[in-house]
Amino acid sequence: MKNIIIIGNSAAAISAIEAIRSKDSQSKITVICDEEYPAYCRCLISNLVAGDIAENKLYLRPQDFYTQNKIDLLLGKKVIKLDPKKRRVTLEDNEKKDFDVALIATGAKPALPDLKGIRKQGVSGFRTFNDAKEIISLATFAKVVCVLGGGLIGLKAAYGLKKRGLQVKVIVKSKYVLSQVLDDVGAGIVQEHLEKEGIEILTGQEAIELIGNGQVKAVKLDSGKVIEAPIVIVGKGVEPNTELVKETDIKLDFGILTDVHLATNVPGIFAAGDVAQCFDVVRGAHYINALWPNAIEQGRIAGLNMAGVNISYPGSIAMNSVEFFGLAVISIGLKKEDSHCQVLQFLDKKSSVYKKFIIKENRLKGFIGVGKINNSGVFLRLIRENIDISGFKNELLNDSFSYAKVIDLFQPDEIFKI
Amino acid sequence: MKKLYFDVSKCVACRTCEIVCCVGHSLSKDLFKSVREKKLSLPRIEVCIGKDKNFPIACRHCKEPKCVDACIAKALTYDFEKKEVIHDKERCIGCWMCIMVCPYGAIRPDKKAKLPLRCDHCVEIGEPQCAKSCPTKAISYKEEPE
Repeated sequence: MKNIIIIGNSAAAISAIEAIRSKDSQSKITVICDEEYPAYCRCLISNLVAGDIAENKLYLRPQDFYTQNKIDLLLGKKVIKLDPKKRRVTLEDNEKKDFDVALIATGAKPALPDLKGIRKQGVSGFRTFNDAKEIISLATFAKVVCVLGGGLIGLKAAYGLKKRGLQVKVIVKSKYVLSQVLDDVGAGIVQEHLEKEGIEILTGQEAIELIGNGQVKAVKLDSGKVIEAPIVIVGKGVEPNTELVKETDIKLDFGILTDVHLATNVPGIFAAGDVAQCFDVVRGAHYINALWPNAIEQGRIAGLNMAGVNISYPGSIAMNSVEFFGLAVISIGLKKEDSHCQVLQFLDKKSSVYKKFIIKENRLKGFIGVGKINNSGVFLRLIRENIDISGFKNELLNDSFSYAKVIDLFQPDEIFKI
Repeated sequence: MKKLYFDVSKCVACRTCEIVCCVGHSLSKDLFKSVREKKLSLPRIEVCIGKDKNFPIACRHCKEPKCVDACIAKALTYDFEKKEVIHDKERCIGCWMCIMVCPYGAIRPDKKAKLPLRCDHCVEIGEPQCAKSCPTKAISYKEEPE
């Protein structure tokens, strides 16, 4: 019987709990999280703000999940110190908890730019249930919202608030939106689509000051333009919550470095989810792909290893799927090619359809699908399994492409009698 | 538990499975009425043409379903008793994460309904219509080998 502590209570933590309990019903598991809610789906807060879903649909597991899994749940409590040598964590109220095995699943937080006025009231990140609640309450009295950042978080916030009836202005430093997820062509389709829905997008511009007396009133741009807005949402990316390990021997790069078992360099201490910097299959290097499916898988692999099962993590891949006002967008792996890559593209601007494949040495390295997303999972598999695609490369862009075309390249498939 | 199996040497790509799938998931369950329904019922199975054979492709209810892992809305869950992936329409937000990760391309988007099209073994009727109606007996619904 072990004493297990999990710091964090979102995707990776929940997935780890289930994995541990599938192998070990005896060990004591304590979950500590500074948020006061049972685990919920972070990615849905834009849908909550939009009014697409009710608050109770946000929760990840039934109410009795923690009791069923015999979890000692400490919500609204922040771990302020992790001592890997004494194998002990200290909470904000100075309570101390010892552990044999720990999982750091502390996630990430919105990266706040060094911007004058960023601490003013009415300025919010867009990540937590509390952020969403605050924005919903602010939105009751506001007509305009200014979103800083045209990445996924910024655009999801823009979508939610537009659907809520606000006038939305998105300030994007890059030349196009979603620059971390798409290329300029794909992004152009998304931007046009959002603009048609009434979202104003100002690219190539940057906020230089948030104006207001305590409460934000306006955003000043580098162009000199001033946009009046009583709500400012900051969607300038996220940074991992690594404060706990900074003073320890646990190896840290941008995130916590993990090995193939999702263990840190300190035995018995694991990391998973948005805080973990794991091996990225496409990049061939350690990288943080702070995405839901990766967090779930990492949580499970970490949990199994914590329970004594020896299981390896195949590595993470950048992958995103979003839908804005009826336009589907999927991006997997690389989105921009270098000079060694071959690119296959199809663009139909009229019907907002774009497909792009990035190929290197006859291996698929990246896929972008806008408007048409069928078989994306097959493309993901071709990327993940590093399959030689020279035999069917020319068919990738066809609508008739499917798993049937590549079935003999994968492991034998028992449901088909050939 | 029963699963769908496909003898592709028998599949002639007549697409009867696709039609009966649409009808089976329509409101009326009647071919001629179903084509007049406001929300057109779309197939959850699709005959895909391979190199020299035809493959009916539908959700196979994986034991370690990637779609369930990727679902951000907890709309997809795995029922360990039924050994089936269950989809809760009420929770689904149509984000297409499931489509992004399905290794078989067996989930397709119903863009109008904003719901993924996935085989549910015709749960409403009680038996998969594709297996029942396949004229060449290429599709069978049978117990999984142990």
